[in-house]
Amino acid sequence: MLLDPQFLVIQVLNGLQLSALLFLLAVGLSVVFGLMNFINLAHGTLYMLGAYFAVAVAGAFDSFWAALVLAPLGVAVVGAVAHVTLFRRLQSAGPMKQVLVTFGLIFVGFDVVRIVWGRLPHTVPTPETLAGSVQILGETYPTYRLFIIGVGLAVLVALHLGLDRTRLGAVVRAGVDDRTMVAALGINVELVFFAVFCLGCWLAGLAGVVAAPVFSVFPGMDMSVLILALIVVVLGGPGSLWGAALGALVIGMADTFGQVMFPAFASVTIYALMAAILLFKPGGLVPVRPSH
Amino acid sequence: MRRDPLQIPTVVLLVLAMAAWWHGADFYVHEVLLSEIALFAMLAMSLDLLVGYAGMVSLGHAAFLGIGAYVTAGLTVFLGWPVALAMPASALVAGLAALVVGSFVVRLGGVFFIMITLAIGQMVYAYFLKAREFGADDGMSGIPRLDLSFLGLDTADPAVFSAVLLLAALAVYLLLRVVVRSPYGATLVAIHQNEGRVRALGCPVHRYKLGAYVLAAAIAGLAGSLTTQHSSFVSPDLAFWTVSGEVLIMVILGGGGSIVGAAIGACAFLVLKHWLSAGESWEALGLPTFMADHWQLVMGSLFVLVVLVAADGIYGRARRLLRRDGPQAG
Repeated sequence: MLLDPQFLVIQVLNGLQLSALLFLLAVGLSVVFGLMNFINLAHGTLYMLGAYFAVAVAGAFDSFWAALVLAPLGVAVVGAVAHVTLFRRLQSAGPMKQVLVTFGLIFVGFDVVRIVWGRLPHTVPTPETLAGSVQILGETYPTYRLFIIGVGLAVLVALHLGLDRTRLGAVVRAGVDDRTMVAALGINVELVFFAVFCLGCWLAGLAGVVAAPVFSVFPGMDMSVLILALIVVVLGGPGSLWGAALGALVIGMADTFGQVMFPAFASVTIYALMAAILLFKPGGLVPVRPSH
Repeated sequence: MRRDPLQIPTVVLLVLAMAAWWHGADFYVHEVLLSEIALFAMLAMSLDLLVGYAGMVSLGHAAFLGIGAYVTAGLTVFLGWPVALAMPASALVAGLAALVVGSFVVRLGGVFFIMITLAIGQMVYAYFLKAREFGADDGMSGIPRLDLSFLGLDTADPAVFSAVLLLAALAVYLLLRVVVRSPYGATLVAIHQNEGRVRALGCPVHRYKLGAYVLAAAIAGLAGSLTTQHSSFVSPDLAFWTVSGEVLIMVILGGGGSIVGAAIGACAFLVLKHWLSAGESWEALGLPTFMADHWQLVMGSLFVLVVLVAADGIYGRARRLLRRDGPQAG
C-alpha cells in the first residue's frame, strides 16, 4: 500500500494540508508562548471563531474572499479585546492562572457560538474559482486543498521575511532571546507583545476560515485542534518560527499516515512524542534559547 | 506549621450538611448529585495534595481516574473478580502508573509540568479511545457495584450507594489530612516554597514529589473504580483533559492548600452546575429558561472571575476574613 505512488501522493498532500492548518494555528501560539511564557488554551477557540465569522461573512456577502479578509480581522479584534481586558493582567501571574482563565474562556466561547449560530454544524461553500480539482498522477485532487497548502507556505515565507528583515522582527527575536535586556534598551516590549499577540489571533482566525470549507463548522471543533497545536508548539520549540513549521509538518504527516496505517496507535504515538520531547529536549527540535 | 482554626469546624459542618442533605434527599439527589459530589470531592482533594501542597499543577489527573475505572471494569467484567478486590487493584494500578510516569515528570516544573501531564493524560485517553479490547469509543457497561449484602445493605439502592461514596470521600479526607499534617506534608510545602533550599538541606526532593504524585494518583484510581461502579459504565471520556481542567477548577474554586477547600469546591461546582442547567432556576430569577442550555457560559465566566479576583477560593477567603482581627496574613 505504501509503495503505491498514487496513494502516497494523495496522503502526502493530505498531510501537507493538515500541516499547513496546524502551522497557521501553532505559530501564533508558539511565538506568544516563547515571548511571554503565556499559554493560551483558548487559542483553539479563536480558530473556531474564525470559522464561524467566515460562516457569517460568507453568508452576508455571498463571497468566500470577503470572509477570508474580514473574518481573521474580526478574530484579531476579539483577541485584542481579550488581551486588554484579561490577558494583560495574567502575564505576570503563574502558568496555573493562565491555564485556568483560558480554560474558562473555552467554555464561554463554546456557548457563545452555540447561542449565536445554534448547535447544528454549518458549512462554508468552497469558492468557485477553487471548487474544481486537478489531476495528480491520474488521481483527482480538490484544488481547494492545494490552496490551503499554498496559504500555509505563503504565511511561512511572509513571517520569515518579517522576522528576518524588519525592525519589528528584530525586536521580536531579541525579545524571545532576552526580554529584560530588550526592555532595558528602551523598547516598549509590552506593545510589541500586544502586536504579536494580535497577529497570532489573526493567524488562528485565518486557519479557521480556510479550514471552514473542508471541515464542518460546529461548537467544539476547537478541542481536538487545540491539543494538536500545543503538541506542535512543544515539538518545534516555543518561540521558533521554523520550529512551528517543522513541528506542524511532523504532526500533520504523523497524524495523516498514522490514521491510515496504524489507527490504533497513531494518537498515542503523537502524545508520547510530545512527552518525550518535553522530557529530553524541553527547548524543542529548533530551540530558540540556548539550553541551560 | 500553618495554623488553621477553621478546618475542624468546617469539616464538621460539611459532614453534618451532607448527612442532613442525604437524609432528606430524593432518588435523583442520591443517584446524581450526592454521588457526583462524593466522587469529584475525592478527585479534587487528591489533586489539592499536588496543587495546593506540593505545587505541582497537573492537567492530567483524569488519566488516573480513567485507569482506575478501566481496571475495575476489566477485572470484574472479563475476569469475574469481586468488586472488593478490584477496588484496591484499581488504586494500585493507578499508583504504579503514576510511579512510572512520575519518575520522569516530577523533575519538570511550572509550565512544563502542566504541558507534560496534559500530554500524558491525553495519551491515556487516546489509548482507551482506540482500545478494541475495552470497547474503544463505546466504552464498557455492566460493571457491578460493591457487594455489601453481608452487612444487610443493598448497594443497588442509590441511597445506600451514595452513602458509601460519601463515607469513602470522608475516609480520603482523613487520610490526606494525616499526610499533610505529617513531617512529610510539611516538607512538601517547603519544597513548594523554595525547592532549591530544601534540596540544599539534603532532602531528596524528587522522591518527595513522586510520593505525592503516586498517592494522589492512587486516590484518583479509587475514585475511578467507584465512578464506574456508580454508573455501571465506563468510557474514554472519563480521561479527557477537560475533566482534569474541571477538577483543577474545583480545587481553585474551593481554595487550594487545605484539602477541605477542594471538597467544598467540588460541592460548589456541582451544585451550581446542576442548578444552572435546570430551567426552573432561571425561571425563578425571571430570566429566559433557554439559558439552562447554556450553563457553560455562566460557569466559564465564573471560573475567569474566581481566578482573577478571588484566587484563594471560597475556603481561603473565609479563612482570611476570620483572621482579619489577628496579625496580617502574609
